[in-house]
Amino acid sequence: MVNTEKFIEQAIAEIREKSHGKKVVMALSGGVDSSVCAELARRAIGENLISIYVDTGLMRKGETERIRELFSDLNLQVVEAGEEFFEALKGVIDPEEKRKVIGEKFIRIFEREAKKTKAAYLLQGTIYPDIIESEGGIKSHHNVGGLPYDIDFEGLIEPLIDLYKDEVRDVAGALGLPAEIQHRMPFPGPGLAVRCLGEVTPEKVEIAREANAIAEEELVEQFRPWQCFAAVIGLGTGVKGDVRLHGWIVAVRAVHSRDAMTADAIELPWPVMHKISSRITAEIHGVSRVVYDITPKPPATIEYE
Amino acid sequence: MLPICLVNNFGQFNHLIKRMLRDIEIDAVMIKNDVPPEEVEGSYRGIILGGGPSLERANHAPDYLDLGVPVLGICLGLHIIATRYGGTVNPGKMGGFGGVEVEIVDHTGILEGYPDRISVWASHADEVKVMPEGFTLLARSNICGNEAIGNFEKNIYGVQWHPEVSHTTEGYRVFENFDRITQDNL
Repeated sequence: MVNTEKFIEQAIAEIREKSHGKKVVMALSGGVDSSVCAELARRAIGENLISIYVDTGLMRKGETERIRELFSDLNLQVVEAGEEFFEALKGVIDPEEKRKVIGEKFIRIFEREAKKTKAAYLLQGTIYPDIIESEGGIKSHHNVGGLPYDIDFEGLIEPLIDLYKDEVRDVAGALGLPAEIQHRMPFPGPGLAVRCLGEVTPEKVEIAREANAIAEEELVEQFRPWQCFAAVIGLGTGVKGDVRLHGWIVAVRAVHSRDAMTADAIELPWPVMHKISSRITAEIHGVSRVVYDITPKPPATIEYE
Repeated sequence: MLPICLVNNFGQFNHLIKRMLRDIEIDAVMIKNDVPPEEVEGSYRGIILGGGPSLERANHAPDYLDLGVPVLGICLGLHIIATRYGGTVNPGKMGGFGGVEVEIVDHTGILEGYPDRISVWASHADEVKVMPEGFTLLARSNICGNEAIGNFEKNIYGVQWHPEVSHTTEGYRVFENFDRITQDNL
């Protein structure tokens, strides 16, 4: 395990040294990685840190509002960009293409906003597994390599690059961040877009959003999963109130893991699965079917795309 | 004491080996498999060959077997050892993905201290079909006949599963045993 005190001391020194007294900008998602980064930077350089939160329209229910509240003491700029993202995603079906489109859009918006701040350095919460998946060609991550920045930052600062997620959580605890952030489930950069198989439409995202909220409500507290979520995976025939419904199929997934490198599905009690299925079909119009995914990683990955 | 050399063969779990070694306080340096063997020779007390996508990307990894220090191969690392000493590697009739029950038939060397049956995690389509000469079978499973092999004379060992992932039971023992083997060899 990482020695958190020593790590924090070194990371603060690293940020201070690498930023040369100039302004630093970062993209804050509210996840544990970027939150830890922000707190380290706040301690290292204070007012010289500017954080930008991009609302992609692909965030979970209530997420943007909550992040505004949680980081109210930080120099946080919120950019509403939902429409831009849906426009860019029209007709995009291939998962890798989807990730690229979102990554590209994210970078352009972030660049646009970052330029206004006149920051010299970019701070990123990249952790080790992001690099492994990108290097291995499994999934590209929007915050790792390959993406052309048209903005001339003098340098990149990545203080968490050698850590795994569980270690970042230890650091979050040692920094005294709220438990809500320390234990926040991983949420992929492309957001709900990778939980809507095929084309991303506002309708599917809305269904995914509601279904994710239900899955989290029923599972997070009771089972403490590494990650749990719902994905809209396709269409199937159902019957609701004696009327045929060619409706959406929602897959629920809940896994235990230490570091996201391997994972296994949680053995949920039948009544819990039953409740999730009834709630999702009853509360969300347009859903005809709910399935529970029992595949471990490997051979599956945790998210669908 | 010289550190252990961890060879990154571009597998997803290679850095987890580093983390495992760090957690159990075994000094290790990670290198990519394109480092010429001359530069590796004499600098390490043992070599761990990590997993990876294919033998075609093994680069210099097979050459490190000639450096005269103990070697532990994991997944693709096992395949590198097997093919280097005349065994064969082919796709298995079914791949091993996720949990696998392994039966340990010989506890000598890297499998010391384990019970006779352990639950491990694997991720492989290929497997060792024909064991190389001079090697002893250490473990097998329903999925794969050669889950672990060893050459006690040369101090070369290979396992098909991933002892470095958190879902493998007591995976650290493989590394502790290997560490002891490298120290006995000094």
